[in-house]
Amino acid sequence: MRARSVLSALVSLFALTVAACGGSAGSSGGSQTGQDLVIGVPMSITGVQAKEGGLAKQGYDLWLDWINAQGGVNANGTKHKVVLKYEDDQSKPDISAQLTTKLITQDKAQLLLGPYGSATTASDAVVAEKNGIPMVEANGAAQAIFNNGYRYTFGVLSPANKYLQGVIDMAATLNPKPSTMAMLSADDSFSLEVAKAAQEYATAKGFNVVYTDRYPNGSTNLSGLVANAKAKNPEMLLNSGHLAEAVAINKAAKDLRLDAKLYAYSVGPSTPDFVNSLGTDSHYVYGGSQWTPQVKYKPSFYLSVPDYVAAYKKKYATSDDPDYHVAESTAACLALQKAIENAGSLKPDKVRDALASLDVITFFGRIKFDSRGINTYKPMVVEQIQTDGKHHTVFPPDVADAKPQYPTPTWSSR
Amino acid sequence: MPGSPGGSFSTRPDAGGRRLRRVLLAVFAVAVLLVLIAPLSTTDQADSLGLPVLVDKSQIRILTTIAMFVVMATAWNLVGGLTGYGAFGNVAFFGLGAYACAVLVDPHKLHLPMLAGIALAPIVPIAFAVLVGLPLLRLRSHYFSIATLGTAVAVGEVVKNVEYLGGANGLFPPIVRRGDLLFLYLMVAVAAIAVGSVYLVLRSRFGYGLIAIRENEDAAAVLGVNTTLYKVAAFALAAGLTGLAGAVFAVWNSFINQELGFSLDFNIQMILMAVVGGAGTLFGPVLGAILLELLLQALAGQGTVAVYAQIGLGLLLAVTVIFVPRGLVDFFGGSSRLSLGYLRRTLRETSV
Repeated sequence: MRARSVLSALVSLFALTVAACGGSAGSSGGSQTGQDLVIGVPMSITGVQAKEGGLAKQGYDLWLDWINAQGGVNANGTKHKVVLKYEDDQSKPDISAQLTTKLITQDKAQLLLGPYGSATTASDAVVAEKNGIPMVEANGAAQAIFNNGYRYTFGVLSPANKYLQGVIDMAATLNPKPSTMAMLSADDSFSLEVAKAAQEYATAKGFNVVYTDRYPNGSTNLSGLVANAKAKNPEMLLNSGHLAEAVAINKAAKDLRLDAKLYAYSVGPSTPDFVNSLGTDSHYVYGGSQWTPQVKYKPSFYLSVPDYVAAYKKKYATSDDPDYHVAESTAACLALQKAIENAGSLKPDKVRDALASLDVITFFGRIKFDSRGINTYKPMVVEQIQTDGKHHTVFPPDVADAKPQYPTPTWSSR
Repeated sequence: MPGSPGGSFSTRPDAGGRRLRRVLLAVFAVAVLLVLIAPLSTTDQADSLGLPVLVDKSQIRILTTIAMFVVMATAWNLVGGLTGYGAFGNVAFFGLGAYACAVLVDPHKLHLPMLAGIALAPIVPIAFAVLVGLPLLRLRSHYFSIATLGTAVAVGEVVKNVEYLGGANGLFPPIVRRGDLLFLYLMVAVAAIAVGSVYLVLRSRFGYGLIAIRENEDAAAVLGVNTTLYKVAAFALAAGLTGLAGAVFAVWNSFINQELGFSLDFNIQMILMAVVGGAGTLFGPVLGAILLELLLQALAGQGTVAVYAQIGLGLLLAVTVIFVPRGLVDFFGGSSRLSLGYLRRTLRETSV
């Protein structure tokens, strides 16, 4: 009979787990005065994106400390302490959706901050939409999420098609103005989106795109493509890809003596690894970035850029500048905070409407969402590794801390 | 597990089998009860009616996930358990079914009604199973396992690079509002179809043919079993059932990409569930799916505990295969040398 009792125990365990653990009180969310505001955050605390997830969490926590030090978020004269309720989604989209549902139904989260990564963000956006809970996300840049008519998801990032537009805008202001451009791209969807938009934008701005090609994501032998590009003698060499490919292209350009006046890579130049692996060959290279610690925005609330950098260094006891993952995550919190203040309410629908009409300048730049929920109003900044070996923000001029070093000297004269 | 007396499968229920059947009936009664009380939950309807809360949306989601794994483990059992072919790439059928359904219901593509999309989607994985089954099912043991795994990974990579299928971004089937209960019922219905199919197979000439192939394929051929036809048919049936679960998943989740559709986690979990529960039995994979998914859900969100749990699952599989090769169903309910019943009898007989 023991066998039966063991199994009956399992059966009751099953029943208990499923039915009983949800014995929650019937009270639903609302803006009771002074009540804590619970914001749900599914996050990659473990799993393949744990490192980036950790940076995003730093950004969220930095704002949490600050807002609670102010007494909480102010809705119509009443201050509400903020509680960020994290759930570890293990960087997996199915688990992220499950935990987001749990955050809403069991933890009674009234608002959501986004997870890390495009796939988890897409998964969670569906849950937010189904439940009518606004989600502000800062770490899923793929535009596909925003092309489905969802009303409750907002992204503070500049979208993929903006990544290299800043470089092209900057090129148009340079003297002597370059006129021809070669564009190489990795074949993943994000890189292709960046490359396609850059080509179209360059053509519209009067540049002559003389060579384009794509290569498999992750390639490191790109000499063939660079040789093809050299044959067209471009004055600008652009790449939309990743760190390893940017390094390979820069090396091949040196080996083959492709002398462009301007080199710009979508991803790579902002990382220390790029400078470490290329040494002085990394000088003069431009990159697009969501944010840099040198930008000179004039925020209307929260911290100034230098204060933000200082607050980050103090809280995390580090001498490193905050990564852009950290800054964009804090920016998502600021969007929620301002929307609550504007709405004068914590009610999800009111906050959602306030997000849709939000327009503020923060340390991260302008935050204003288009009809799809994307922040298309913030420009990407352009940074350059200059001859002092440091990163400088060079465009747009009103936020820059240095002028572009241009043109890039020929390889033989460096 | 080939040929020892008593067999891992028997149509004649002994005492242990009856007891097991009663217990499983109880499990099903609980499941049915939950489905019936589901309307008294924090779904939008109940919210608006002000009904008391018994089951909330997140638990409905867990139940739906369990039903989904019941389908996948049960379908895997047709090939891996009954026929004895260690398929390691069934997730490809799930992904193909999900993508097919997403394309069928997409307003910018074929724009069929949701139920039509779900019903038609399994055609794609079935056709795929027949196509790759013919060459692959000529391979045996680990060669077959590796080939199926490779095929699944390859299909996922191809799908990821097809622009029509959304590329790396994936596809977003339209959101069905207030659909939580609908999808629970749909997935439970698919699970019932899957278990019912295996029940019928087990009692048919087809089923005996599959078991004959598992026990000794050459002998089965000599006895007149058309082994190629039988194997491909089992493979295609598994593909259809798994694809049906994928189709429901696509419209339920409203988002499908390569990572979700061709998830290596799902791929391993369905096998683990079938093996732990009892490969080759009717209810083993069902029991395995329920218990393991509950375990995984209990651990989800527990941070590093969940990471250790993944390691634990690997150990569980190893321990099961070594010590309880016929799974929990046999361990608790069976009468073979590796069951509790046998152990108890032996103890009673040997103790004074």
